Amino acid sequence: MRWNYILNIVGILTFFLGLTMLLPLLFGLYYSDQSVIPLTYSIVITVFFGILIYASCKNSKTDFITQREGMAIVAIGWAVVGFFAALPFYFGGCFNTFTDAMFESVSGFTTTGASVLTNIENVSKGLLLWRSFIQWLGGMGIIVLSIAILPFIGVGGIELYKAEVPSPIPDKLKPRIRETSMVLWKVYILLTLLEIFFLLFGGMDFFNALCHSFTTMPTGGFSTKNSSIAYFDSVYIDVVIITFMFLAGINFSLHYQMLKNKPLAIWRDPEGRFFIGLVILLTTIVTLNIYGNAFETIGQSIRFGLFQVVSIITTTGFATFDYEKWPAMSQLILLLCMFLGACAGSTGGGMKCIRIIICIKYCYKELFLFIHPHSVMQIKIGGKSVPENIIRSIIGFLSLYIGLFVISSILLSGMGVDFITSFSAVAAAIGNIGPGFGLVGPVENFANIPCLGKWLLIWCMLLGRLEIYTVIILFVPEFWRK
Amino acid sequence: MKIIIIGAGEVGFHIANRLAHENKDVVVIDHNEQAIRRVEESIDVQVVDGKGSSPAVLEKAGIKAADILLAVTDSDETNLVACLFANIISPATKKLARIRNGDYDKYHENFRKFAPNIDTIINPEIEVVKIIDGLLSVPGAVDVSKLAGDRVKVIGVQLEKNSRMAGVRLIDFPRILGSQRTLIAAVVRDEKVFIPRGNSKLLPGDIVYFVSQKEKLSDTLSLFDKYAQPLNNVLIVGGGRLAVRLAMLLEEKSIHTKIIEKNKNRCVELAEKFNKVVVLCGNGTDQRLLKEENVGDMDAVITLTNDEEINILASLLSKRMGARKTITKISNFSYLAMMPAIGIDQVVSPRLSAINTILQHIRRGKVLSAISIKGEQAEILEAEALETSDIVDKPLNRISFPKGAIVVSIIHDNDIIIPTGDSIIRPGDKIIIFALSQAISKVEKILSVKLEYF
Repeated sequence: MRWNYILNIVGILTFFLGLTMLLPLLFGLYYSDQSVIPLTYSIVITVFFGILIYASCKNSKTDFITQREGMAIVAIGWAVVGFFAALPFYFGGCFNTFTDAMFESVSGFTTTGASVLTNIENVSKGLLLWRSFIQWLGGMGIIVLSIAILPFIGVGGIELYKAEVPSPIPDKLKPRIRETSMVLWKVYILLTLLEIFFLLFGGMDFFNALCHSFTTMPTGGFSTKNSSIAYFDSVYIDVVIITFMFLAGINFSLHYQMLKNKPLAIWRDPEGRFFIGLVILLTTIVTLNIYGNAFETIGQSIRFGLFQVVSIITTTGFATFDYEKWPAMSQLILLLCMFLGACAGSTGGGMKCIRIIICIKYCYKELFLFIHPHSVMQIKIGGKSVPENIIRSIIGFLSLYIGLFVISSILLSGMGVDFITSFSAVAAAIGNIGPGFGLVGPVENFANIPCLGKWLLIWCMLLGRLEIYTVIILFVPEFWRK
Repeated sequence: MKIIIIGAGEVGFHIANRLAHENKDVVVIDHNEQAIRRVEESIDVQVVDGKGSSPAVLEKAGIKAADILLAVTDSDETNLVACLFANIISPATKKLARIRNGDYDKYHENFRKFAPNIDTIINPEIEVVKIIDGLLSVPGAVDVSKLAGDRVKVIGVQLEKNSRMAGVRLIDFPRILGSQRTLIAAVVRDEKVFIPRGNSKLLPGDIVYFVSQKEKLSDTLSLFDKYAQPLNNVLIVGGGRLAVRLAMLLEEKSIHTKIIEKNKNRCVELAEKFNKVVVLCGNGTDQRLLKEENVGDMDAVITLTNDEEINILASLLSKRMGARKTITKISNFSYLAMMPAIGIDQVVSPRLSAINTILQHIRRGKVLSAISIKGEQAEILEAEALETSDIVDKPLNRISFPKGAIVVSIIHDNDIIIPTGDSIIRPGDKIIIFALSQAISKVEKILSVKLEYF
């Protein structure tokens, strides 16, 4: 482990983060609201520390980084970035404690969308934009972005990329990692622009269209309104947001292929097909379950059912209705969606469909081996067999995911939080969803969680966003041995 | 008529033998001393010692004067290179090559159109898969051949003890069967093929060859008390190329298929190829494994390993354990004759198939296809009746047909006629003739194809 080198890159990231604060500052100046001063302070401090860390750890030229170093850079980088991104909230006086500011910032960067703001509409526009903007940065990955635009990270790019965008079955779109990052960001920006256009077309004002697009595409879920998307109460806006949440939940390399004249790429991809099928199935169940129960008409049941299923399964976390008033079956299906998650290579969180598919096939294989003890069977995805090491890593991932979820929810309940709340808050944090059930339901927020509990959830959100391994590895003693 | 054969293996040897008996000039090229000695000692052909892929050796063998080149070594690459040089040295020579690797399947057409301009590519594995498919689809058959573009089938069935045909003389058939007529082309008894006369009796244990139209096949089979049974479960022993082709076919037909393969790595490869086929790692003769996989409930067990002793053993074991039907791959021709004696009735041989296909293509004058029965004792020929021939335009009973040969079908326009003594062959009709090997050259003569032959 070369600390020099790790901190050096973390310094670059911090500096870069400071520069990104210029965008909300511009808005602040335009609207001339109270966000100008806290943002200016934050930029100065962040840029200063960025340069300080970078300069104090100036390292000799190196032409490679190890996988271990890559993971350390990403994990530490995310924690540091979360810290500095919290400064504008803290200086802006949105929160009384730094814990709350940090929670909001990490919840943003990890695209969770769990908020501790009690009255969102009171916050100045510059800070609201910053709040949405960090989700947008975190969605495609700030490190992927740095690889794409900062030439001097070039060397160890592949290790950083693997640590930040862990994909069970790696696919590199272009021969060079830099070009791959660039392509992903271009697709991401294109989709965001499209969404802004469609929202403006539906009569939303520019500021809200921008903020909501910034939080839909990364499947984040921060809204500028207290009552989330329900505020707009428009079928058109619901449909636009459903569409873009859904698109954001699909592997971005498939979007790229579709743009490259392969319009059926999503349907040809086994994971894409599974995801579409799953959304249709779960929506049908929820719709039938809430029809005549929470809603009078089938149209309304479909509108709200589909929105909520897509919102939770893509791990966005927008709400158009208080689903805690729905029957138990619908609530349990939404809880299930929190664990399932979207496709690998998307901006969504959760366990990811591809892992679920492989896990199901693996279980079937085990059962099959009981029936035919001498049989040889390969787990295949789209006609190609999945190598043994990838399957092992997926099974390990799922076990860690469940294990950490169980331990964290027990710890949270130990802090005096009730059963449903601690259970769902951890599920919503580790899956990067946002709202849960109970005290953290769609109409409440995380402000009632005790201080220590918030730090626990911050940890869970980072775990979930970096897909467990990158974070948890820092806590394995062997990692630090020379 | 000069034919050069490269490769004196099982296929090359037997083709050379057959062609030599038919008075063709045959040159055999091989560089294996033992193989050469075997040819020299037993067949009247010229032998050249050397590599068939070498242009010098080809010239020495007289490629420029040769009408046909048969490249039938075990190596696809040698065969291809030999054809390539033959194409350069003597473009007029017809070239036949045996190419077995499935990777080349897609390029057969290219080989034909461009250099080396191979006229016919023989892939015995494809043929064998077709044969196995035929055996599986015809209940009780021990031999199935297709003629006239699959419209006519020549079927061999074994008579059971309690069959109503057993002990019946051929002239009594109409009395027993009424209007249903069938023509018995040949009978195999005690390893010998003969053409039954009117007063010959059929005995239990005989293998009876008959000709049937495709549509009437199940009716005819019911005369021999063979009824169609559904085919749902198949076990294949051995996971070679042949097994892969067969399993692909069965998988397409949604038949539950299992493959037993010994080699663990090969098993993994197989498992990658298939979606529904169950790949089992183990020995085909392991009784515990066979029991575990319910071999007794299998509709067919097909043994295709490269070791024929294992094939025979596995087939016998599965039959003993209750499998309904077994098909065994045998490569060594000397084993073929004794298979019925030890209780193995359905046998396939890639080499025999290769020989059949090659013969068929060599005779491609007016003879449309040729199929060997019982090794080399008899052949079924499909030919076109020429105007110049002695056999046209008069009733069959007035033709002096060679002894040991019989016309089993006449295809007139699109009608398939099972001939009687009064039937008349018209010019342009296709006829199917069953001939014992000693009668083949006489049959060719009577067909008047000799002048045009080749």
